Amino acid sequence: MSEPVLLDVSDLSKHFTVRHHLTRRVTGVVKAVDGVTFQIRRGETVALVGESGSGKTTTARCILRAMEPTTGTVRLHLEGRETDVLAASRRELRSLRAAMQVIFQDPYNSLNPRMTVMQIIAEPLVIHGVVRGRELVDRVRELVRQVGLDERYLNRYPHAFSGGQRQRIGIARALALNPTLVIADEPVSALDVSMQAQILNLLKQLQDRLKLTYLFIAHDLSVVRHFCDRVMVMYAGKLVETGTVEDLFTRPRHPYTETLLSAVPRPDPRKKSQRIVLAGEVADPSNLPTGCAFHPRCRFVEARCRDQAPALRSDGGAQPTACHRADEIDVQGVEG
Amino acid sequence: MTPAAVNSPDDGRPEGVNSTGTPACRADNISGPPLLSVEDLAVDFTLDEGVVQAVQGISLTVAPRQIVGVIGESGCGKSVTAQAIMRILPKTASIRRGRVLLQSKEPDGPVLDLAAIDGSGRTARSIRGGEIAMIFQEPMTAFSPVHTIGNQIMETIRLHRKLTRRAARAAAAQMLDQVGVPDGGARLDSYSFQLSGGLRQRAMIAMALSTKPRLVIADEPTTALDVTIQAQILELMLRLRRDLGTAFLLITHDLGVVAETCDFVHVMYLGRIVESGTVDQIFHNPLHPYTQALLESMPRLNRPGGGALRVIQGAVPGPFTTIGGCPFHPRCDQRIEGTCNTGAAPDPMAMESDHTVSCWLHGERGA
Repeated sequence: MSEPVLLDVSDLSKHFTVRHHLTRRVTGVVKAVDGVTFQIRRGETVALVGESGSGKTTTARCILRAMEPTTGTVRLHLEGRETDVLAASRRELRSLRAAMQVIFQDPYNSLNPRMTVMQIIAEPLVIHGVVRGRELVDRVRELVRQVGLDERYLNRYPHAFSGGQRQRIGIARALALNPTLVIADEPVSALDVSMQAQILNLLKQLQDRLKLTYLFIAHDLSVVRHFCDRVMVMYAGKLVETGTVEDLFTRPRHPYTETLLSAVPRPDPRKKSQRIVLAGEVADPSNLPTGCAFHPRCRFVEARCRDQAPALRSDGGAQPTACHRADEIDVQGVEG
Repeated sequence: MTPAAVNSPDDGRPEGVNSTGTPACRADNISGPPLLSVEDLAVDFTLDEGVVQAVQGISLTVAPRQIVGVIGESGCGKSVTAQAIMRILPKTASIRRGRVLLQSKEPDGPVLDLAAIDGSGRTARSIRGGEIAMIFQEPMTAFSPVHTIGNQIMETIRLHRKLTRRAARAAAAQMLDQVGVPDGGARLDSYSFQLSGGLRQRAMIAMALSTKPRLVIADEPTTALDVTIQAQILELMLRLRRDLGTAFLLITHDLGVVAETCDFVHVMYLGRIVESGTVDQIFHNPLHPYTQALLESMPRLNRPGGGALRVIQGAVPGPFTTIGGCPFHPRCDQRIEGTCNTGAAPDPMAMESDHTVSCWLHGERGA
């Protein structure tokens, strides 16, 4: 891949301290994100997958600096200039935020019910003082057309729209400032199958036309296979496997990736998935197991998994995996 | 396809895959008269803006031990159907016509029409939660936050079975164990907010099953859960059917869940069943353009991406729009002008055994 790096995240952690409700004494630490390192190149679509509570959304919030990470660096390469997002001043942050926009999961709660579609989409343009007056209206009209909404509906309120149409409004708002990186946090999870297909096609079209880079947070692996170039699998605040969609789906190396893939119900009654049903639940980030956080649920567990945490490493050209036994175990991918 | 993918040992997969057809555990142990038969059920909502015909004459049956799926997008009337069967419709809704027949527990006992009885009367209350139980999508709101899980399960048990508190507590603990809540006895004293999503959903299933119902209506039971937890819950449903003989009416929009669990499937669109068939017929020989489009618009785990997904044009129409002819015709890419957009909606037509479709492409008028 020859495209330049756009986003460079290094050793990012977000730890929350838990305090006793009366004494305010620190009683524990929740390691929501713990030492995450990755890069995204321009024009890529990279998926961040994992169960709820694995730290996907916290990672995204730290990148946007909607939340101050505990440690780590986040660098954004824009127009040949590298900016440290976490060290940026308020003024710099403003322009950085224009370059990084978010599409939220829930099209019902992420739009202000008291604002018209016009006001919702115009808001970022007004705040950043990009355009005014006649031009503002023209720009909103253009955005609305771009996402496939009818211009006649500009003065309506969000409640008058279906879930799919609301998601289009959210996309138009995210595109208003011509962002480079779009973080899409479960953008189709709340939608019906037919709406999901429409929105995915729209996101793809917009990417081609506007040269967007997507960080796509998802839990539906079928959508990831269809939509993304690379995948990062997250478990209990750490990346456990990263690779191209093709490699990771057909030749996973981490037992957790195998489990996630096997758990997806196959829409074919003649080919029932060979489900590997995991015992137990996602590791509790406030009380992580020793060693590899996945070991209590892993079917390949052995002694060293219980006391040594594996690092994300790649050997012999295979995709990076955080598993002590990655080279010895036979992990199943998705059937052809 | 990369070389390594070609070499991946497909034959080395665990046993139990039946390459020729349906897995052996399915459908062959279903017999006898239906446990539940819904006949021409229609439900109206009377709102300030007008009357919404949410369900417009649907018929379906569930046999003992059978898992029947109802699939459709939001607004198609699938949840309203479940609520009508349970007689828990909101106040603005009423059953306009149709029968909901529940077979008696005794082989030759009388058949009861749930649609004709008083929805809040003694009979309805003894059936609801007793003979027919329901599992909801959001276990957080299905439990009261101010009572322990144990007390809520015990309350259900003691409403339907004559048991002492102590015996009911033991039964509740046993039920939690049976649905795979680790250390069920200790969990009885937990509140719903202290449990994780998966455990809460299990606790709700335990509550639903605590009265040994013959039929469980599950309305999107796994939609709010992670895939790994969803897999646990689906396994649990299949095990309960095998061990206790429970029948399920499974309402969902997830075609994968349907393919993995159901014996028989009904596809709903705008308050009507547009296609019904065995799970194999629906997934391998879908006849209705809507069913075909639904299946094709889904991204697949085993299909590399790249191109655009097939899209069903437009959106599900709003509740107050009236559509002449076949309700799906404005979105249908196979519509026959002059046939599909005029007259009445097509009636269900039987194609092969058990497979029916409501579409002019397969009926007299279109041909």
